[in-house]
Amino acid sequence: MDSCLGVEQDLDKATSKFTALNDNTNKILDDVIKQVEELRKEICKQPPNTVLSQSQTKLVNDLASSVKQTVFQLSTDHRELHATVSRVGKSIDRHFIADYAAVAPKAESFCSDTNRPIMEQAIAQHLYRQGLEDVGDTLVSEARVVNAERGSTFAQLQRCAAALTAADPAPALAWVAAREHDLQHSPLPFVLHRMQALKLAREEGVSAAILYARAQFPAHAARHERQLQAAVCALAWCTPAAPPPPQQYAHLLDPKALGAEAAEVFIREACSLLRVAPHSPLAGAVLAGARVLPALHDIRAKMSHPHVLAAWADDELPLEVELGEEGGFGGYHSVFACPILRQQASDHNPPMRLLCGHVISRDALNKLAMGIKLKCPYCPMEQSPSEARQIYFS
Amino acid sequence: MNEIKSLEHATLKVPYEIFNKRYRNAQRVLDVEARQVATSVSDLDTTTKKGATVGEIDSLLGGMVEKLTTMKRKASEAITEEVQAAFVCKKRLEHLKEQADALSDTSAPQAKTQINQWRKVRLDRMLVDYFLRNGYYESANKLADARDLRDLTNVDIYAAASEVESELSLRNFNSTMEFKIRIQEFIELVREDRRLEAVRYAKKHFSTYEDGQLEDIQHCMGMLAFPKDTEVEPYQSLLGSWRWDALVAQFRWEHARLLHPARLPALPVTLQLGLAALNTPQCYKDSTKVPTCPSCSPPLNALARTLPHAHVSHSRLVCRLSRLPLNEHNQPMVLPNGQVYGEKALKEMMKEHGSIICPKTKEVFCMKRVEKVYVM
Repeated sequence: MDSCLGVEQDLDKATSKFTALNDNTNKILDDVIKQVEELRKEICKQPPNTVLSQSQTKLVNDLASSVKQTVFQLSTDHRELHATVSRVGKSIDRHFIADYAAVAPKAESFCSDTNRPIMEQAIAQHLYRQGLEDVGDTLVSEARVVNAERGSTFAQLQRCAAALTAADPAPALAWVAAREHDLQHSPLPFVLHRMQALKLAREEGVSAAILYARAQFPAHAARHERQLQAAVCALAWCTPAAPPPPQQYAHLLDPKALGAEAAEVFIREACSLLRVAPHSPLAGAVLAGARVLPALHDIRAKMSHPHVLAAWADDELPLEVELGEEGGFGGYHSVFACPILRQQASDHNPPMRLLCGHVISRDALNKLAMGIKLKCPYCPMEQSPSEARQIYFS
Repeated sequence: MNEIKSLEHATLKVPYEIFNKRYRNAQRVLDVEARQVATSVSDLDTTTKKGATVGEIDSLLGGMVEKLTTMKRKASEAITEEVQAAFVCKKRLEHLKEQADALSDTSAPQAKTQINQWRKVRLDRMLVDYFLRNGYYESANKLADARDLRDLTNVDIYAAASEVESELSLRNFNSTMEFKIRIQEFIELVREDRRLEAVRYAKKHFSTYEDGQLEDIQHCMGMLAFPKDTEVEPYQSLLGSWRWDALVAQFRWEHARLLHPARLPALPVTLQLGLAALNTPQCYKDSTKVPTCPSCSPPLNALARTLPHAHVSHSRLVCRLSRLPLNEHNQPMVLPNGQVYGEKALKEMMKEHGSIICPKTKEVFCMKRVEKVYVM
């Protein structure tokens, strides 16, 4: 946010200066033109063959030199704005990181001749999944992508979601109606019916909406009581000439926000019903990457280059980045990290369950074992190392 | 440090460079026009010194008015263009601020939807940028139009580049094509030092030349007198192995380099880092793949294979059955065969089948033999 504001300040200064300069230039040139025209009219009152009198010559010369001075002044005024312009550029450089790729030395390999086609195949599949068949086809022919699958499931979901974003719940309602039984525990049907009711209220009047709500809402009353109340209350502000709604109803009455929210719920619920990821692999990876990048820039700011590069030579990322809960990043895989050694378990160092139920890695177990005796590091229980069993998290 | 600061430099810098270019252009326009006016002023001066008539002065003053009007028109055009370029910067800045606003007020009911929308737009912007920088202009245009991203991406800036490129590759098909290939073949013969053959080749093919080609032929024949590693122009550059494709690629690269401070588009960079962060050793065994994981699924799986694994110092466990996280609310439980699942999923299974069937080994157990696992 700070970085945006920093640049905005300099940019606003520049735009206001240029707008002022534009007005000023126009005005001054208009004035000068007027002056010259006036003098010309004055002189032309005499017959064309008379020689100019001394005073008239002086007038002409004075005006000429002032014109020359004015136009050069205009050019100088513009030149003086150079500092303002370059300040915007410097401000962008200062507030944003120019070479984001410096922390990802391996990214270069993604653009190599072997990897680029793989990446472009993923891009094409992403486009198809988004329901952008046209763009996908163009890319396939321009980039000569091979093997791009054109799955239709996602395209259908995306079309429903796009309709929702455009405030039309009909296709999504049809999709939901066909799967009513599977969606019993999902908030999706209610969200869609609510949207339809509010849409009716806007288009056909509150009474139509109430009729619709009577038919559809009771089935959801138990699970969504509060939201249902809010939706019905919101109808009060749907009449023509209603005052602006209070804050808690504002988002229900804004078709755009409601549509975007419904589209998101739809994609999430439909994907979990079909047991597929809500993001395309490309989108999921890019989302995660965008979170990693700032963390890496942080570390780069703290360490000098060689260290980061050395860390990359290892087979792990140099740091741990919290990817957040959204987008299925509760984790796709179970990862067991040994609480003693603080490192990921592997085939050579698998997780072992001690007799007492605590889990540590085999390397840690071997280090802690004293002959045939082992004391659990987390509870007082003593046991033999041979009693520990390997367990599998995935 | 945040995502905007890390990733969006080029988003602002590219339109800024356009703004800067327009500024310099406007300065040139103003200088040229001012000099024009100055010429008319000095004309006036010399005439008045000689003692001019009213008629002469009238026409000179008229000329001056004309010059001033031109200056006014041109200056106003140039400055308006500058201001427009600045507004493109401003527009993108506003877009970036939307995300910052949504992030700063996460309590608002729409904040999450807003952020997700914004991220979707970001991915589309990255894709457009990637397309442009690799010369997939039509894809870039179509995507930008489909998602209404013209202002937020550089499609219009690259339009000029795409024209130049198509011009370069079109040369391959116009009428001088044959002549150029002949010359190239002649040059190749000289490069291989088969000069007599080259002369025979020239006799056969260069005798029917068209207007304007004579000079090229003369250069070619002159080349015969020089060694193939000559430093004398134009023969040295003729001997360079030009390829139109290479020319197109080089042009594209140079153009991108002028516009973008970073050498790579943002897409491969974030994709690579994201895959690295999601990458686990389990992504490469069929038995442990997760269909929703980006680095497990083809084709990205092939790319992730070359990358480091995510660094994890705290266990991060999910139930393989329910995909729910394993924690104090959903205890990890181990079956006698060592396989770990979530308590909730196992209880659900008990309710449905009356026993536990390990999904991996198909062994059957009763609930009594399932034990708790404590992961610190």
